Amino acid sequence: MAAITEEVAVRARSHGAMRTRQRLNLVIFMGPAAIIVALFFALPVLVDIFIAFTDLGRTLQISEFSLKNFDRAFTGDSRLPKVLFLTAIYVFGTLAFFNVTFGLILALTTTALPDKAGGFFRTIWLLPRMSPSVVYIVLWTWSVHSGDSSLVNQVVMNLFGVEKPLDLLLDAPVVLIILANGFIGASFGMIILTSAVRGIPEHLFFAAKADGAGYFSIVRHITMPALRWPLTYIAIWQTLSLVVSFEYILLLTGGGPFQDTTVFALYIYRRAFQSGQYGYGAAMALFLIIPGIIFALSAWRFTNMQKMMQEPRIEVH
Amino acid sequence: MVAITAQEVPGSQSHWDDLAAKARTRRRTGLVLIYGFLIAASIPIITAYFWLVTLSFSARLDDINTEVLWPSIFILVPSLVAIWVWAMVARTRTQAFIGWGIICLATVVIYWWLLGDELHTNNYRFLFNRDFNAENKSIVAAEDRLGFSATAFPSVWTAALNSLFIAILSTIIVTTVASLSAYYISRFQFPLRVSMLRSLLVLHAFPSMTLIIPMFLVLWYIGLLDTLWGVMLVLVGFELPFAIFIMKGFFDAVPWEIEMSAIVDGATRRQAFVRVVLPHVVHGLIAISVFTFIRGWEEYIFMFTFLINNNHWTMSLFMFFTIQENSLGIDFGLVSAVAVFYVFPAFVLYAFAQKYLLQMSVGGVKG
Repeated sequence: MAAITEEVAVRARSHGAMRTRQRLNLVIFMGPAAIIVALFFALPVLVDIFIAFTDLGRTLQISEFSLKNFDRAFTGDSRLPKVLFLTAIYVFGTLAFFNVTFGLILALTTTALPDKAGGFFRTIWLLPRMSPSVVYIVLWTWSVHSGDSSLVNQVVMNLFGVEKPLDLLLDAPVVLIILANGFIGASFGMIILTSAVRGIPEHLFFAAKADGAGYFSIVRHITMPALRWPLTYIAIWQTLSLVVSFEYILLLTGGGPFQDTTVFALYIYRRAFQSGQYGYGAAMALFLIIPGIIFALSAWRFTNMQKMMQEPRIEVH
Repeated sequence: MVAITAQEVPGSQSHWDDLAAKARTRRRTGLVLIYGFLIAASIPIITAYFWLVTLSFSARLDDINTEVLWPSIFILVPSLVAIWVWAMVARTRTQAFIGWGIICLATVVIYWWLLGDELHTNNYRFLFNRDFNAENKSIVAAEDRLGFSATAFPSVWTAALNSLFIAILSTIIVTTVASLSAYYISRFQFPLRVSMLRSLLVLHAFPSMTLIIPMFLVLWYIGLLDTLWGVMLVLVGFELPFAIFIMKGFFDAVPWEIEMSAIVDGATRRQAFVRVVLPHVVHGLIAISVFTFIRGWEEYIFMFTFLINNNHWTMSLFMFFTIQENSLGIDFGLVSAVAVFYVFPAFVLYAFAQKYLLQMSVGGVKG
């Protein structure tokens, strides 16, 4: 009898020890990440929602709570329609020409070459993505500056016989920001699609060739159907990242000349940090944060959850 | 009707040969077209980066110019073509190397003869000379405009060290924290595991750039605004979900058996993690540390926004302010040299880590 109670006690103790160890493990392994995520995701989102209802300005002091910011965004801001229109053009232009189309072309052409040659061209197209944004934009500014010694002007004047040097920054700033973002965006599609093309079983290509299919019908009937899902993924993901990012535009044109290249994200940034209207900026940022959260929630659909959720096979802690 | 066999048709063998030749021609034309397209598409990028390099070695620079660029291209492109042709023509390895040696030597000689006077390495003096500020035209110009004293504008090394501080520290923190929690999520049974995984997915897809305004205010409240630590922590925070996600993919791929055998041999889970599992995910660790390091080294927007008083110079800010004086007065050679110095570590790291980064997109995101 005594032995049994003793054993029960020992078991209870070891059970208790295991619980403690389990909790300790949770703290050790998950604690740091949880703190960082709480500080840098949860807290900012809450702060943003809070600030959106205040008139926080340059002095960083709050004097009233109201819906004025939203009122202003929906009815009172005469610049906003133009900004949104520009954003639509910019996002659609970059996406349609570069991130999807050119990315696809690069993936298809580089995978048609021998591995080394294809890799070489892919590396070249990765250079803009690999270089620091400041350096990348310095290259753009110098290439298109208005003097006749800039790279673009040298080419158009000597090869195409244009008489006067072009000033693209002043005359075609929207084209310029689309190009600058597109050269970087194309490589994202290129990489995802290259691995998608590589993932197509090789025997399909052999079978098609044996049946007499040419290059274009192979692309049309074998490659493209396999790329449908990656293409959707690229389009959605890149739309979101184009809508929210403004780094290259800020560096290249600063939103100018006048307001000509101020896209929505940059408009928010300038309102907050250049005009000091943090409250208004935060309210407008909500219109980016909420779609961001919705998109992020839909990221489940892109992932094979079943595979991600495999059950642990060891129960010891 | 007599059955016609292949032999009886006159010239049937050559008919097949014709077809084969045609197919070969078509394949070759296709390849040539693809090569032509890719070369044409890559020319702008190569030219621009090559231009940066030539500028950084140019001696005469009152304006951004292409005086060195075009002659260099006219010399280097033919010699590259010659090397390529010789690689096809040469029959033995020795022959190939001898031919390449001659071509390279000829190129160097011609290059030196035509462009030797235009080139120098003086633009890179900032690497050795800490006090180049006074003679640096762009900095003097910036001083007039912004009211900095020339000494407030730091040497490149100060900026590089600050950038290194941010990059290295954030790399260490991200790698440590990410591998701990990725391992826990991947391998442990705990309450709310599934919802933890879900929120990880959500966080990793969330565009952190939208949080820049509240982040600014949070940093201000906790007193880290305008400090390197603040920027570093923000980078850590925004990079972490991605890193956890990637690392989880790598941990998922480690076979359970080795961990089980470690535990059967008497190790605790923590010991098994450190001694048995971690060595299996070294590639993942390399991938995320390279990623985080480069992110920290190249970061511009958070530094520009959160380091408001120009007390702390990082490489991106240094670059940005040296070119701000956009028209006259820039020492373009110097700026290009700084740019080359700034780009170099990132390119080297990418080249070194390429195969690990590729594993990441294969093993991580798809998992």
